[in-house]
Amino acid sequence: MSTFVVQTSHLTKRYGDHIAVKDLSLNVEKGEVFGFLGHNGAGKTTTIHMLTTLLKPTSGTALVCGKSITTDSLEARRHIGYVPENVRLYDTMSARSNLRFFAKLSGVEDADRRIDETLEFLDCRDLAPRLVGSFSKGLRQRIGLAQAILHRPDVLFLDEPTSGLDPMGIKTLRDLIVRLNREFRTTIFMNTHLISEISRTCTSIGVLNQGELVFRDTIEKVTARYGSESSLEELYLSVTPVQTQGAA
Amino acid sequence: MVTAHSTSRIGLLTGHSLAALMRERTVALLGLLFLILVIVSAYLGWSATSTVNAIYLRSAEYMSAQGQTLPPNPVLDTSPLALLRNMATYVSLIGALAAIVIGHQLMSAERKAGTMPLLGSRPMRPADLGIAKSLALIVAIAALVIFAALINTATFLALPEFRLDAIGWLKLAAFYGASGLYLLVFGFLGLWFGASAKSETVGLLIPVTIWLTLTFVLPQITSNINPVAALNPVSALAEPPASAFFQITGWALGSLSLAEAYRIISAQLLDFLPANYIDRAAIPAAVSLFVAALGFAGLAARAIGRMDMTKGDYDA
Amino acid sequence: MRELIQPVLTIAGKDIRDALKDRFILLMTAFLLVASLVALTVAAIALKADVATYIEAKAGLIALGKDAASIPDPAFYPLKLLRGFVEHVEIIGAIIGILIGYRAAASERGRQTLALIVTRPIAQWQFLAGKVLAGTAIISAGLIIAFIVAGIAVTVISGVALSVDDIGRLAIVMSAAGLYAVAFFLLGFVCALWARKLPNALLLAFTVWLSFVLIAPQIGDTLDPDNQVAGGVFKQLQIAKPQQIEILQSFSTYETIRNGIEVASPTKHFERLSFAVLGIKDTYAGQPLMPILAEKSSDLVWLLAIALALSLLLFVRRLDPNRLSKE
Repeated sequence: MSTFVVQTSHLTKRYGDHIAVKDLSLNVEKGEVFGFLGHNGAGKTTTIHMLTTLLKPTSGTALVCGKSITTDSLEARRHIGYVPENVRLYDTMSARSNLRFFAKLSGVEDADRRIDETLEFLDCRDLAPRLVGSFSKGLRQRIGLAQAILHRPDVLFLDEPTSGLDPMGIKTLRDLIVRLNREFRTTIFMNTHLISEISRTCTSIGVLNQGELVFRDTIEKVTARYGSESSLEELYLSVTPVQTQGAA
Repeated sequence: MVTAHSTSRIGLLTGHSLAALMRERTVALLGLLFLILVIVSAYLGWSATSTVNAIYLRSAEYMSAQGQTLPPNPVLDTSPLALLRNMATYVSLIGALAAIVIGHQLMSAERKAGTMPLLGSRPMRPADLGIAKSLALIVAIAALVIFAALINTATFLALPEFRLDAIGWLKLAAFYGASGLYLLVFGFLGLWFGASAKSETVGLLIPVTIWLTLTFVLPQITSNINPVAALNPVSALAEPPASAFFQITGWALGSLSLAEAYRIISAQLLDFLPANYIDRAAIPAAVSLFVAALGFAGLAARAIGRMDMTKGDYDA
Repeated sequence: MRELIQPVLTIAGKDIRDALKDRFILLMTAFLLVASLVALTVAAIALKADVATYIEAKAGLIALGKDAASIPDPAFYPLKLLRGFVEHVEIIGAIIGILIGYRAAASERGRQTLALIVTRPIAQWQFLAGKVLAGTAIISAGLIIAFIVAGIAVTVISGVALSVDDIGRLAIVMSAAGLYAVAFFLLGFVCALWARKLPNALLLAFTVWLSFVLIAPQIGDTLDPDNQVAGGVFKQLQIAKPQQIEILQSFSTYETIRNGIEVASPTKHFERLSFAVLGIKDTYAGQPLMPILAEKSSDLVWLLAIALALSLLLFVRRLDPNRLSKE
């Protein structure tokens, strides 16, 4: 059996004349923390939307845990967890009610026990009875992460997970991602445009520029070749020469 | 196994949608207004019938003093069920508006919560959300209709002079069935635009405009019923002028004129249809309502199936 | 003086341009026009059917040997054709008023620009006056178009040119319609400005609309004993008008309550005034204008009072900074 959790082949998404993702062929191995780097509008979110089956590709194929995102999307969804950028939950419900609802939708049998374990893991058990509407952005992000890992997915998709968080929040989240990867062997697929995040969290990176994959390697090799974080920044700028802003 | 899972997921989504609906104050306000009008409708029927009876008795005194022959009392001609004739108007006014709001809210609450991407990435069949929302709509409307039926049943039990026989009770039950069906037409309309409209306001206003057309414009074209007359259960059943125009429009557009179709069915079931009334529509009224409810349900399901699951909230 | 007025005009000008881009306001106004034309056409067709019946009956009577001169000609008042049109203005005009009012506040709240405006050196009343001015201008423009179209349609359909008196009557009804729609504009505006959640404001305004435009007149109409029996209770009992009045005197309390419910509705005031001025109600058909106006001035005063009360409510209350955002 293939060790790839994400496999895409010539994956393309067009909106009229605009090509958001072009001919993307990318493999992510089980257990990797993959950082998907690119400018705003490079096509990172569109890629995640396709891989989480929210969006149908125009052409090409993609397998998530061996299941096609188009022909077997229901099965593919059993293996994934997803935290959108600025995740939103039901504000008028408590954290526990939100999590119970999503756990059951994901087919978790003993939802309450699993919620307790998950909140324990995320170090936020005290949040359970509180209304989500009263949460700060950081706390909401924590419950957003909880809803995505309740069913212990094989792969977790994170779209700009640290967006809008304060430095403390960013550090906490980063630690959680690393722990999640180590303790549950969850593969992480993370969109970001922050190089600092990549160097501290990821085991491999891909760089997307104007919808095309322009670089793909492990962090180990990259740092061996380029050294420090500032060199990583130089690498990034050298493979993404055109600064364009547009829709993701 | 898969089916059992799907069923439990649909049940979960339905329950969740209903719970969210109950938290909405505007829905509660409209539902309450509808139930108040159900009580008012029984009072209006009782009060107006008593007044006509009193006028008859007063006129009878006057006429016998003049030595004139007494015509029969019009009240004796009317069935006790006709006491509720205003229900037909209130169902098609506030009931329909409440149904639109309920249908719309079932989708807009989900969209505004911003949780569509979280639902879309769960292992559900594409149709599950549509089925759950439709079920929630049916349960909510059934609750509204059952409440109204209970209030009306209590009214009949409390007024011994308006006694119903077995057929009367059956007709009353059928009236609530027809009312539920009529409300579902508008509920599905609300659901459809709640799912498909780009902005929350437009999603509410398009169904309201369709409701206005059905209630006030089409009856005018098919039967020369002016808007205000369309609100009165008796005046709305006036004969159209004897003209080829109304024969043709009545035949061709009558089937689309759902407010009229519902009025005819209600008048038949509540015994206030004038004896000489002829339904000129090409398709029987009940068939029109069924087709409309099914059609809108289909369009709502399609719209929900085609929703952009990547988006959290409305654009505007 | 110019300093006081300039900001008001600036806000009004921007708001008018903004409202004209709102597809839904345009759509509803077009809907009112279409519904009105349908009402007029249908009324004309119904009238033609009545005329045909009359001619047939007349021919029958002449054939029976009756003298043609002794059969009275039916009186024809073209303005009577406007009944359906006036009723559409009652229902849809009120909705358009609400929508324009709602939009006036919602456009600022949705874009969160209200905070940008109220932090400028302008008084709150200037901001509100600008909005009200814009709303009134848009409503007036819509109604002027609707009434011109209706006037032309009546002329074309009936083949009788409207007299100066007729046009004067139309202008009076149009002004009353303006006042009526502005009252609903204020309702929509106040709701959207103050509601905690914006879409709830629209629902709240619609609930008020439903209660006062449809339900209150409906209750009044239904309680009218004459509407309880097809064709009218007195007609069925074959009782003449003077005796009807005498009999109804014993039901004065009932009638007072019934009338009270109708009077609570601005719609009924607008309808009573318009139906009298246009001669749609039979007792007023062909009557001179001045006595009608004198009799119906109380309806006009009611409409004014409702609009003024809502304006007062709007201008007296301070804007709440917590209501400056969308949610």
